[in-house]
Amino acid sequence: MTKTFHPLTWWVGAVALAFAVLLSENTIINLLVVGGVSSVVYLVNKNSVERTPWSGGLWFAMKIALVIVAIRTFIGVAIGVPVPGTTLFELPILYLPDWMAGIRVGGAITQERLFFAVSEGIHIATLICIFAAATSLTSPHRLLRQMPIFIYEFGVALVITTSVLPQLVASASRIKTAQRMRGITRRGWSGVALALLEESLARSLDLAAAMDSRGYGFSRKRSRYKREAFSARDLTLIGSAVILIPASLAVFS
Amino acid sequence: MISFNNVSLIYPNSVKTIFENLSFTIDEGEMVLVIGATGSGKSSLLRLINGLVPHHTGGILAGDITVNGLSTTTTKPGGLAHLIGIVGQNPAHGFVTDTVEDELVFGMEALNFAPDVMRKRVEEILDLLSLTHLRSRSISTLSGGEQQRVAIGSALVMHPKVLVLDEPTSALDPIAAEEVLSILHRLVHDLGLTVVISEHRLERVIGFADRIIAISSDGSAVIDIPEQILKDSPIAPPIVHLARALNLDSVGTSVREVRRMTTHLRDFTPLENIDRKFNEKVVVEVTKVSHSYGGKIALRNISLDFRAGEITAVMGRNGAGKSTLFKSIVGYHSPSSGIVRVLGEDPVKLQGRTRLSRIGYIPQEPSDLLIHTSVAKECSASDRDNGLPEGATMEFLSRLLPTVSPDSHPRDLSEGQRLSLVLAIILCSAPDILIMDEPTRGLDYQAKTILVDTLTSYARNLGKCVLIATHDVELVAEAADRVVFIADGDVVADGHTIDVLLSSPAFAPQVAKVMSPAPWLTVKQALKGVSNVTGKDSVQ
Repeated sequence: MTKTFHPLTWWVGAVALAFAVLLSENTIINLLVVGGVSSVVYLVNKNSVERTPWSGGLWFAMKIALVIVAIRTFIGVAIGVPVPGTTLFELPILYLPDWMAGIRVGGAITQERLFFAVSEGIHIATLICIFAAATSLTSPHRLLRQMPIFIYEFGVALVITTSVLPQLVASASRIKTAQRMRGITRRGWSGVALALLEESLARSLDLAAAMDSRGYGFSRKRSRYKREAFSARDLTLIGSAVILIPASLAVFS
Repeated sequence: MISFNNVSLIYPNSVKTIFENLSFTIDEGEMVLVIGATGSGKSSLLRLINGLVPHHTGGILAGDITVNGLSTTTTKPGGLAHLIGIVGQNPAHGFVTDTVEDELVFGMEALNFAPDVMRKRVEEILDLLSLTHLRSRSISTLSGGEQQRVAIGSALVMHPKVLVLDEPTSALDPIAAEEVLSILHRLVHDLGLTVVISEHRLERVIGFADRIIAISSDGSAVIDIPEQILKDSPIAPPIVHLARALNLDSVGTSVREVRRMTTHLRDFTPLENIDRKFNEKVVVEVTKVSHSYGGKIALRNISLDFRAGEITAVMGRNGAGKSTLFKSIVGYHSPSSGIVRVLGEDPVKLQGRTRLSRIGYIPQEPSDLLIHTSVAKECSASDRDNGLPEGATMEFLSRLLPTVSPDSHPRDLSEGQRLSLVLAIILCSAPDILIMDEPTRGLDYQAKTILVDTLTSYARNLGKCVLIATHDVELVAEAADRVVFIADGDVVADGHTIDVLLSSPAFAPQVAKVMSPAPWLTVKQALKGVSNVTGKDSVQ
């Protein structure tokens, strides 16, 4: 088993990459970046023993990103200011009242307009994918555990809150399946919601009792299990990420 | 180590005293088992030990409880965290973080342990509970037995003097339960830990217990050695019932002991007089059904018939394909290939009331079907759904549960009462097949008896088809006519209960192990068998 990177490493990398992408405004580079980060995530997670519910984050984010590209393209093409250029096809124009002058719905769809809208969408999607990839590579919980000690307490509280979420999703789908197998379909989500609410109330009482009997909040000071150290590999990756920022400044602006 | 002095307890807004003048002491290094019917206050007793009751729940506590000299009235649960480790009924509800290692250190961080001490203890616990290979895994991906081990580990990592476990195996299948109990057994012997444990299935733990605290419903309790308590306790494992019924001089707590006491009864060749006839009328036909989820095969070319008037137990490991088979039968999905017919119809197409009158399904958590705020509302909703006259469900329920109040909230009922409520709702429309998933999880012996009686009379008297997925061999021995054993999507055994259960020692119920080679699975069968063969009235 290879040692995993320090959780901050991936995030520093993600921020630097996002910076470069923001400056570049080049669709080809954006697509290359998405391809790059997803293959890194795939390779790292394939060899990793650590399977957190977050590991699948990137694939989920990619689906969302596709939806965003689609919506952005639709809006960019159908609504807004006409862009001159080669006309691909014409949409009927929807006339708006006088006070909304300057905004047009429909009209000529030019190649330039379509290209502009798609690349805008891809730009946003790339940023989402970069940060989702960082989440997939290190559980945000690991990152929270590296927080400086004065906000560590807050970090622990956040870890506790978000640990419950996957369980909640699992319970919801279990209840829904049970009700569907019984043949209850018409009640929709209201039946699930009530059962789920009651279960999570019972669960949170149990959780509070468990935390209480394990001494949470009893001692005024809290210690920290282990601080992860930066290894040479971490420093190399962070170093190259930091170089990326001035490099992209020089190239793109 | 633990002493209770004249302890009485009343919960707020309640008129019933949970405990009345309880006094006992538990010595260091003892393993004490707490028994009592559901609702008798087993959990309350366990939670009194570290002060969760009344500090966390409210209630009036009289008398004094001390653990290692610390009184729980003046010390809060947090102050006892270094002394007492407590593991709740459902380990998943008590997990605070998401990975195994983080979970282990949570308590130590809260009590400000030095980092090097924590590192050492984590390694020690990972080895002790064989969790090393799971250290960085996310807890939600672990199996039930592994989760329970993590919960025990995160209590032990504080080096407590007392370990309190509330039904540690009730949510586990028999193999996982065995794994957890053998670890507990080792801890008691190796570390001299004081353990207080409550458990429904006595046959699993009775062998380990030094003493038993038996709580009766009037709030009193006795503490004594197992042989004494089990002599006349209504809550007892099957072998104890067997020993009592056979009028043996003393009761034994292990199969070996009782087997040695009954040598004289087994000294004959038993008569083969088992009725292996099956009913003719087929209700469910499963023909060459295969199903897979995303490339993973769950069922391979299964053909089975289920007949009217018959209770069939479907057994097999978790993930063997039981739920997939049930999902195909209730028409939750159409199988990838093959045909399922319920009384000649495709179950996927059944809708509305016809569906309710054909198929009754009870999930593993019966409460998933309860969505109203009182028993009475649940019952009248069921009357409407099933098209029955007002009050029909309530009447059915009162036969199963004479004491339940119609105004009580379904969530406030015990596991057994909730199952009875769901049974009443499902059965009052008299579906042709009844399907239950793991019905005995968390049920005490009394609730199990009600379940077995209801199921057998439903199948035999009304001639309905009943299917149960279960790990519980004692339930199978009591209720099932036929056993279908599924492994890895294939049917590996299918036949009469006696033949299937007796063919493997791992699945034989306790009575069968004692009476082997005689083909008797339950106390009733053994009694009948013994008196048939010896021809004399050697039994009550």
